[in-house]
Amino acid sequence: MNNLFSIFIAMAIVNNMVLAKFLGLCPFFGVSKKLSNAISMGIAVTFVMLLASVSTTVIYNYLLVPFHVEFMRIVLYILVIASLVQIVELTIRRTNIILYNALGIYLPLITTNCAVLGIALINSQESYNVLQSTISSLGAGVGFSLVLIIMSGIRETLDLGESPESMKGLPIAFITAALLAMAFMGFSGMV
Amino acid sequence: MSVIWIVIILSAIGLVSGILIFIVNKVLPREPESLKRAEQVAQYLPGYNCGACGYPGCFAYAQAAAEDKDIITKNPCATVLQDESMLSGIEEALGLEIDTSQMNKKAVVHCYGVTVPLGDYEGIKTCDAANSLVGGFKRCSYGCLGFGDCAVVCPQDAITIDEVRNVAVVDPDKCTGCGLCINQCSKGIIELVPADSNIVFRCSYESLKDIPGRERCDEGCLHCRKCFKACEHDAIIWNREKGIPEFDFSKCIMCGECIEACPHNRLIELKNVVPHKPALKK
Ligand code: SF4
Ligand code: SF4
Repeated sequence: MNNLFSIFIAMAIVNNMVLAKFLGLCPFFGVSKKLSNAISMGIAVTFVMLLASVSTTVIYNYLLVPFHVEFMRIVLYILVIASLVQIVELTIRRTNIILYNALGIYLPLITTNCAVLGIALINSQESYNVLQSTISSLGAGVGFSLVLIIMSGIRETLDLGESPESMKGLPIAFITAALLAMAFMGFSGMV
Repeated sequence: MSVIWIVIILSAIGLVSGILIFIVNKVLPREPESLKRAEQVAQYLPGYNCGACGYPGCFAYAQAAAEDKDIITKNPCATVLQDESMLSGIEEALGLEIDTSQMNKKAVVHCYGVTVPLGDYEGIKTCDAANSLVGGFKRCSYGCLGFGDCAVVCPQDAITIDEVRNVAVVDPDKCTGCGLCINQCSKGIIELVPADSNIVFRCSYESLKDIPGRERCDEGCLHCRKCFKACEHDAIIWNREKGIPEFDFSKCIMCGECIEACPHNRLIELKNVVPHKPALKK
């Protein structure tokens, strides 16, 4: 139990996908302009991470390891993640067209979101079992959403304030992200 | 041995994923009809995502059009109006007849552009910046500043800057009449005219508000009203406030009388905006 909890905290905060591992930066900057979009993107990514981790761990532990073909994991993971995203995209598109439009180009981008592949690879690197990798991907997803939500809150406020003309938009966002990353460095070594 | 396993595992996983996607596709409710229509419409849109129609991208425009067909005529996509095949595709997808006679437009710049600079301009090289500085650095404060703010926004690369005369020139073949350049021009000297009207007037100098005559520009309008008097079809309206002619293209038959009459015959030009493609359906 303790072990699971520390995996969760480690993935969510200490080894945060965006701010400590610098994975998944494109949705981080692309979708963090509005809080509502950030929340839905966070949920979508968490969901895909969860699905991807569970299925890749099953494949890794019960297919790749017994047959000694672990070195094929990147190819396989990409295949699995791509089809998962396809399914998620289809589902969102058919059931909630407004959310689909709001996510726009970033939805297919989840496929190429390195954070999703990253969490799958981390799980197999640490040889987590299914339960552990579920928790770790949940942690990673929560951490990703957390950072996205913090960032969108800051950026919404920044839009109202007066930043210098040349700093408006992405420049100030990058600076903010750097400051956030430094703040998150304070957690390192906690778990 | 492991090679065989790789092949088997890869194909098995690929197969399973394919079947899963197939099942999900079957199980989920069908897409709403309007979305399908939007996709059909989007096929015939140019895909520039220039935003000139006021929607964030071509697909958003297609969705709006699929829900409300009137949008195609009320808020036409300028590129589509230029292209018979796109147009007929959209007509088919939405099941309507589009009457383009009133919609097909081209941009023209109302300046000939030779006026002498007052001095060297050292500031930021955009028309907007130069204009905010006492209205620019040229003797004529109405004319084109020639830094090409308009050329930057044009999604078709239709605008070039004539280096010699220092003026923006629109290529009528490339211009789709989207109108993005009009808002960008800080001098407000770009106008959309019907694409098949071949008359351009190349001056914006408002004599009555400023020093009369040709103090400001050697090539500018003389305000003699000779063109106005020469036109027998009432196609020229004399703008009393600005002291320059304006054209009523619905009356103009392109006889060229005004051009003959103008002592400064570069100012009114014929066959300048004519698209080399035949004009669309009348
Ligand atoms: S037409 Fe207007 S925007 Fe274009 S170069 Fe001339 S002044 Fe600038
Ligand atoms: S010249 Fe102006 S109206 Fe014509 S395509 Fe370019 S931006 Fe649009």
